Amino acid sequence: MPYWPLSGQVTLGLRWQQHGEYSQHPEYQNFYRWCDEAYEEMDSTLVVQQYIQQTIRLDHNNIDTILNAPETQDEGVWKYEHLRQFCMELNGLAVRLQGECQPSTCTQMTATEQWIFLCAAHKTPKECPAIDYTRHTLDGAACLLNSNKYFPSRVSIKESSVAKLGSVCRRVYRIFSHAYFHHRQIFDEFETETTLCRRFTVFVTKYNLMSRDNLIVPILEDESAGHGESEA
Amino acid sequence: MGVGGSGFQKRRRSCGPAGVRGGNGCHGMRLPRMDETSSQNQLAGSGSPAGVANRQNLEEPNQRIQYSIPGILHFIQHEWARFEMERSQWELERAELQAKIAFLNGERKGQENLKNDLVRRIKMLEYALKQERAKYHKLKYGTELVQGDMNPPVEEGGEEVRVDPDAILSTNTNVSWKQSRHLLRQYLQEIGYTDTIIDLRSNRVRSLLGISSGENEENHNSTPAVNGSDTTKRQPDPNRWNVSKKPQSTLEAQIRDAEKAVMENFDFLRSEGMEMDEDDDEEDAEEEEDVHGLKSPKVAKTLDVDDVDGEPVELDHEFPFLPDVEDNPPGVMGFGPARRGYGGPGGEDDALVEGLGELAQLTVNNEADASYDISSTKENFRKTWTAKYTLRSHFDGVRALCFHPQEPTLITASEDATLKLWNLQKTVPAKKSASLDVEPVYTFRGHLGPVLCLAMSGDGEKCYSGGIDGTIRIWNIPSSNIDPYDSYEPSVVAGSLSGHTDAVWGLTFNPQRQHLISCAADSTVRLWSADTRSPLLYTYSVERDGIPTSVDFVYESSNQFVCSFNTANCVIFDLETGKPVMRLDTEPDQGSNSISRQINRVVSHPTLPLTITGHEDRHIRFWDNNSGRLVQSMVAHLDSVTSLAVDPNGLYLLSGSHDCSIRLWQLDSKQCVQEITAHRKKFDESIFDVAFHPSKPYIASAGADALAKVFV
Ligand SMILES: [Zn+2]
Ligand SMILES: [Zn+2]
Repeated sequence: MPYWPLSGQVTLGLRWQQHGEYSQHPEYQNFYRWCDEAYEEMDSTLVVQQYIQQTIRLDHNNIDTILNAPETQDEGVWKYEHLRQFCMELNGLAVRLQGECQPSTCTQMTATEQWIFLCAAHKTPKECPAIDYTRHTLDGAACLLNSNKYFPSRVSIKESSVAKLGSVCRRVYRIFSHAYFHHRQIFDEFETETTLCRRFTVFVTKYNLMSRDNLIVPILEDESAGHGESEA
Repeated sequence: MGVGGSGFQKRRRSCGPAGVRGGNGCHGMRLPRMDETSSQNQLAGSGSPAGVANRQNLEEPNQRIQYSIPGILHFIQHEWARFEMERSQWELERAELQAKIAFLNGERKGQENLKNDLVRRIKMLEYALKQERAKYHKLKYGTELVQGDMNPPVEEGGEEVRVDPDAILSTNTNVSWKQSRHLLRQYLQEIGYTDTIIDLRSNRVRSLLGISSGENEENHNSTPAVNGSDTTKRQPDPNRWNVSKKPQSTLEAQIRDAEKAVMENFDFLRSEGMEMDEDDDEEDAEEEEDVHGLKSPKVAKTLDVDDVDGEPVELDHEFPFLPDVEDNPPGVMGFGPARRGYGGPGGEDDALVEGLGELAQLTVNNEADASYDISSTKENFRKTWTAKYTLRSHFDGVRALCFHPQEPTLITASEDATLKLWNLQKTVPAKKSASLDVEPVYTFRGHLGPVLCLAMSGDGEKCYSGGIDGTIRIWNIPSSNIDPYDSYEPSVVAGSLSGHTDAVWGLTFNPQRQHLISCAADSTVRLWSADTRSPLLYTYSVERDGIPTSVDFVYESSNQFVCSFNTANCVIFDLETGKPVMRLDTEPDQGSNSISRQINRVVSHPTLPLTITGHEDRHIRFWDNNSGRLVQSMVAHLDSVTSLAVDPNGLYLLSGSHDCSIRLWQLDSKQCVQEITAHRKKFDESIFDVAFHPSKPYIASAGADALAKVFV
């Protein structure tokens, strides 16, 4: 069942029914068919989010298009809105992990044996179990990215706040890496549906938000090996 | 100006000099008469000035020339004519005052009837309460409870109030008016039904007569001076009376003022009927003070209409009061036993119903029992709502929100697939102190896809969320003081209700029945039991009416639910049989496309057989459940109406729209009391949900801009 492609289409609303596109059948994609708007025609203050979600919904595999900012777009806002979208979609991975990643089995947040990641959501960083690390990191990111102090506007973003995006990226990336190395099946299913890890990897590389050394999930190599990426 | 005072004074003054006049010639009498012409003029119309002028012309020569017989005769004739005229004036005045007496007697009778009725009700309620207590006590302790008198109430109230009507009729003095009013007032006060209720009525009458509040205030101000007595007149207090920035009309303001006053009074009543507690007693004492201070201006106030307008013709205006007096008490009392919270305050409900005006007349059956405590919402609506808390943490549009039944906490459900629990007492210190930011204390993860609707159990222990994934998830709500970064507690996830095969759009919990009802795009409505192992009780297939958009229980009739559809149909079904009971008459003119009238939200009034629908075509429509007829239809917003909420007392309606605003409506007048621009647009959508806190003065809105806001 496709999940996140949906989230991009989110004008789920009753507005859809008004447009006569409402289907009685539970095929979501048809259900919420959506008349696309050109970026320039969107007049809302939430235009960047709208635009990103619209391109994801059109084809979540088309990473280049999704990450290709409209010419006039402020880069800080672009990065910020994409990161919001990543964190939102990562909820889906967290839900899946909740069922399998137990505090008793994954007592620490690890990927490879090389590092144990400390959870930065607490006053003093803590060795949280993996599932708690995941939840705390996503909750912390939600609070930070919605903070009135650092991100009071979604139209323009202070340079000092843009600097915060890198650390959020580093932390949430560990959720991908934990899933990849410890819950491979979940990771693969999720990646098939959303292509989220690959998009994230391209994103942080393109905008230089993380160093290549930290990108330990070999996902771009996969791509060079074979385009499909849906290996089970 | 009080006629009661000034009228009598006039008479005395004009009599005195006239008596002297015979002996002393003309000079002495002219001065006092002259300064009265203006006031006499008001009563007698144009006759008086002409008469005075004539007299002056004649008198001048008479004084210079010696008295002559024809001159004296002429003078006597003239004087006689004048006395005759004055006599007729006085008779007119007398008739007028007698009319007033009759009117006031009528009013007094009306008040007495009303008072007797109230006393009877209170006695009955007290008796019922005592019996309940005794029963409870017996059940609990196995012994009889010893209470005061357990006799059923007898019709004794009538006796103690009886005032000799002749006493009032025979003595036309200010004092007796005052006394009888005072007496009546004391009796009313004993039953907690003091003069604010009379204020309410006279206010209503005033607005009926089209007397603006401006005049009103003027009258009040002049009252004490003329009467030379009592002190303060209750003026509308701008601080306490501030519901709307721009009152729709003075009429509305007056009625609201009165309504507020009535509620205050019922506060008094409540303490009377229930166990006494210290604070209440003190309040009572204060209130008593207030009442005494008011009594005299009160007299003047009832009479003053005439005085302002001056001319006797205006007498006619007085009489519309009379039918009103007869009508109103039954109007107030006509609503059968009102619904009460368990052990909750008595009386207040009546006042609230009273505030409903025409809606109240729809009341046929108030038997629906409810468990919420209505006492604490008394102060909710007397002020302008201002945004106080901004709930920021969702990544995408907030589709639904829901308050805890008692605590200042709420849960939001978002298109970002999460639900969040917020504690309004845990705020983040903000730069600008105007509004406070709140961070969530818990994030519920479980849905695969946007969450569309939300409901909370009556005890606030559980919450239910319906998603686009077709599932309804059950959550055990963690403590609102939980550390947001605590370790994962799997017990929060309490399972899910599966059955729907498509997006779940509507979810409502009924605390009385402990049932949950849901509607989904699979064209079914399902009834779930909150705590059994096989939760699905009933599946109603509603395909023939379209795709359900919203569902609510009918609170006024305990075994029905109402469901709205994308086809603009709205149907009341029987919960037991699943059969349609009443199809609301939503058929538009043939040929017009029903899709534009699609109903986005349907809510059922908590006490009345009234259904309210919010439409895509910007309308809010009100329906009578019994006849299925449209009661009222109004364009309520600039864009489609997406959400509706009725406050727990059924007095106010809150609506949200894609026009970015929420509006608060007074249900009796259907007037917009306040509009707040609350959210921004995303994909042409703005506000998804609005809610009242069931017991605290909070309202909230949820928006496509990923924010939720709470107003206080
Ligand atoms: Zn794990
Ligand atoms: Zn942690």
